[in-house]
Amino acid sequence: MFKKLFLSLFLFLCVAFFNAGAETLAPAELKKLLSDIREKRAAAPQVQADFQEEKSIKMMTKPVVSAGKVWFQAPNKFRREVKGNTPSLTVSNGATLWIHYPKFQSAERYKLGTRSPLDAGIAAITASLNLEGVEEKYQIIASRDGDSYTLELTPRTPSMKRMLQRFTIHFNKALQVDRTEMFQANGDRIVTDYSNESRATIGPSLFEFTPPAGTNITTPLGR
Amino acid sequence: MPLHSTISHLVTQRRGLVWLAVAVLIALSSLVLATRMKLDTEVLNLLPRGFESVEGLKIYNRDFSQVRELTFALVSKPEDADRLEEFAPQFVEALRAQPWCARVLAGSPLETPDGVRDLQSIAVPLVLNLDQAGFDETLAALQPAKIQERLRRLHEEVEAGSPRPQIELTLDPLGVIAPALKPFASNATMENEQPLTSPDRTMRVFITVTNQKDIGAFECQRLMEEVNAFRARASEGWDGGPLEVLVTGRSAYVAEISLSMRHDIVVTILGSVILVGGVFYIGFKRWMPLIGMGFSLLLCCLVSFAAGLLIFGELNMVTVGFCAILIGLGVDFAILIFGRYQQARDDGCDHGGAISEAIKNLGKAVFFGALTTAVGFLALLLSNSRGFTQLGVLIAIGIFLAGIFMMSVFFLFLPQERHVARHDWIFRLVKRYVLWTVRRPLFMLGISLPVLLLLMLIAISPWPPLIFDASTQSMEPKSSAAGYALHTIMDKMPARWEPAIAIVQAKNTQQLHDDWQKIAAHWTTLQESGKIKSFATPAALTLSLERLEANRARLRTIDFAVSRQALESAVAEEGFSAETFASAFTLLDDLARVASPAAALPDWRTLLPRSSSWWFLVDRYFAHDPLLTTGFVTTHAPITTQAQKQMLTQELPVAGVPMTLSGWSFTLTDLIPWSHRQLILISAMMAIFEGGLLAFLYRDWRLWLIHVATLVFAVGAMIATMKLFHLPLNILNVLAFRLVLAIGVDYGIYVLLVWQKARELEHDVAGVIKPVILAGLTAVAGFGALGLANNPTLAGLGIACAVGIFWSLAATVFFTLPATAAAEPKLWREETVHTPVQETEHV
Repeated sequence: MFKKLFLSLFLFLCVAFFNAGAETLAPAELKKLLSDIREKRAAAPQVQADFQEEKSIKMMTKPVVSAGKVWFQAPNKFRREVKGNTPSLTVSNGATLWIHYPKFQSAERYKLGTRSPLDAGIAAITASLNLEGVEEKYQIIASRDGDSYTLELTPRTPSMKRMLQRFTIHFNKALQVDRTEMFQANGDRIVTDYSNESRATIGPSLFEFTPPAGTNITTPLGR
Repeated sequence: MPLHSTISHLVTQRRGLVWLAVAVLIALSSLVLATRMKLDTEVLNLLPRGFESVEGLKIYNRDFSQVRELTFALVSKPEDADRLEEFAPQFVEALRAQPWCARVLAGSPLETPDGVRDLQSIAVPLVLNLDQAGFDETLAALQPAKIQERLRRLHEEVEAGSPRPQIELTLDPLGVIAPALKPFASNATMENEQPLTSPDRTMRVFITVTNQKDIGAFECQRLMEEVNAFRARASEGWDGGPLEVLVTGRSAYVAEISLSMRHDIVVTILGSVILVGGVFYIGFKRWMPLIGMGFSLLLCCLVSFAAGLLIFGELNMVTVGFCAILIGLGVDFAILIFGRYQQARDDGCDHGGAISEAIKNLGKAVFFGALTTAVGFLALLLSNSRGFTQLGVLIAIGIFLAGIFMMSVFFLFLPQERHVARHDWIFRLVKRYVLWTVRRPLFMLGISLPVLLLLMLIAISPWPPLIFDASTQSMEPKSSAAGYALHTIMDKMPARWEPAIAIVQAKNTQQLHDDWQKIAAHWTTLQESGKIKSFATPAALTLSLERLEANRARLRTIDFAVSRQALESAVAEEGFSAETFASAFTLLDDLARVASPAAALPDWRTLLPRSSSWWFLVDRYFAHDPLLTTGFVTTHAPITTQAQKQMLTQELPVAGVPMTLSGWSFTLTDLIPWSHRQLILISAMMAIFEGGLLAFLYRDWRLWLIHVATLVFAVGAMIATMKLFHLPLNILNVLAFRLVLAIGVDYGIYVLLVWQKARELEHDVAGVIKPVILAGLTAVAGFGALGLANNPTLAGLGIACAVGIFWSLAATVFFTLPATAAAEPKLWREETVHTPVQETEHV
């Protein structure tokens, strides 16, 4: 009996301690927060930032760490360059997604908009960068911790649920995204930290990709 | 005693004997119906024999498991798309729980762990079955250096965020089985997350295989009763707006068609009896003759049906229409004979004498009428279609029986006492018209000829076009729930059309393998040259014992212990989890074991679990007999033209490989020339036969010419009407033209034969025009009643014939009569002296 009481008290204190700094936002506050973020982004619908990513995936024994730079243009164009020993380039113009491996002189091409599993993944990734219609697609719990905010998105649609369990976005006081955490349905977890955000204009050519001559192109999902 | 006197004696003096004969006939026919009733609901049996494509379709329909497939579709409103997605698994579970359901396919098997595991379980025999180049790649992939290189590359792809490693490592962690599993993977592509979902997400499709014992009509009806009960409660748990639960498939169609046959029989017979009886009553205003006529016609139907069952063993669904046609045609004899009987009574004859007189005077006309009609229907034998052959023979038998019964049984119902004459407004009108036309034939021709010529012009002009519908929809029942389901699915799914199928039967597995290898190689070149869009064959699934042995020998060059060691090292070095590569180690062990000459060669058929969803794919290619197979060719557009069909016929076959090309669209396109031949050649033959018969009958070129022109105008007006009212011709209702010629010619014969011999126009010509009009209208009613049938073939044939017969009648009354009067004028009441007529109201 004493053990049980002690355990209950301990759990209560733990929860209280970890929630001490975080304050859940009321629906009206959430609405205002989203409105503020959108207003800020409407002025500059493009963003670029450095990133550092850590993937904990079931098929690997250790987390996979990578770093690079990402560019995004609302609503769905993005570019992602991974630096280091195994560089790669991912470019999407909203219709086609390319992943280029310069080291192997190979590239993968994916057609988007065919409701493939990739589309759900892309939608999840761009959710943090493009909050348009986010209320319809996700259930949102928002919290404030000092000057920073956290949005916890849980997918509403079954197709998203198959891909994604939960998506958390951390904003700094300037309402810039500084961290995202993606919990996938299969148990994989991807944590990405962003820094050096800039809203400078991005040339449209950055979201287009033409494979260099001699590149071996494959289409892993067909066509 | 002459025949007409004998019959008269029998029906007046030996009535009991005749009734006994009738009773015996009814009893025997009923016995045949009760013991031998077997109806053929197979729509394919309406198509002509002698076409490979038709035979192929029958094989595909009979021997492949798709015959037991039912496709379900859930259709919701757009706002309920998410709910539908959530409801789908619940629906699948409910489907699986049904006692009639053997298997369910609700999505790509690759999406499920079981589907992936099943596929991996059959990998070894398929790998061993690879061709030399493919197997070289397999051997290369098992080399330690290759294993390490591949895993390093996968690691880097993981870092880049590519979905490819996930896909590859799930199905083929060793990287050797993907080429062998290509036929499965390509058919269950992952490009579309939900291949059985419409792009707007408002429809989800579920394919089931039922466990029905046989594929007969009654078993299909029983199955569909259970299926429909399930459909009624299938939306339990659905909390959205309206949800449609649709089902289609062969069993759904067969159940509907066989049930609609009952509806068609009742509706067409009732419709025909009411319409024909109505016309008869309006014409004669007598009840007993009407009842006698109805009884005689139903007796014709009963005996003909029994005779048909004895001759053919089973009768096709289209023959259910014969009763309505027979009633419409057989009533002609009743009208003519009763008209002549009444005329004889009016002329002063007693009951027996009038019967004798009617038979004596009209026996020849009835014989020729029955002959031309029977020949017209027997010409359906040339259609080569089992269903239409049966229809033709049944009506030919029936029409002769109608002639016999109208000259015997019918008289049993006529009262012996003479009826008091009543006012006959129809005859009065007809008489006025005949008088006016005979006196002013050119005036009447001035009206009718331009109208008929205008219709002729429309008929032969390219605009408006005559709709020729060779689509699969033209063969579907009207208001068909199964048809609605199929079209809803086709409309909502991405642009897909039915492929052409190639059926290949081999003597043994090696031959089957060799044949499909050749076909796949040939079709690959066709695809590369752009002649076909894509194809799918069972080539990879047809095992070659020679190849399996040869590859097994080469497998012994691999040191599996080294490969295994290399894999273990690479997995550890690249940081992959051992669990991810568990199936790769199993595969290495299986390959090592099968490399031994002592090991039995594996067969994927025994390795694939019976419950696996992959059987849906396998069953697309293999019939119940595994040596009977099919491949599919998708064209760049739906197959509708002769050019497409010719191209496929020329290009798809491979020298030395017997192949039957088929598919619904391919077959219907293949049958278009046959249909045109039926339309033009057989109708022309019919016209020549009738032209000769008319020349023999009239022996007068002017009358012959007038009658031939009448027939031409009637057919022209029929075509023009079909054009103007957008009544489509289809593969089968082109047969209507010969029937129109066969039936329509009779009206002219009656009028012109009477004209030739007429001495008193009022008595003779006016007396025949009224029965001809009544006979024509009853025939139109009889055929028109077929329009009420659900069976589209029957309904289309009935409507086309009704239109044609209407114009035959109109051309006879408004063109033949004035043209004859103009060509061979006769004076009205040319001889009025010594007329024996006492009362002319009933002629």
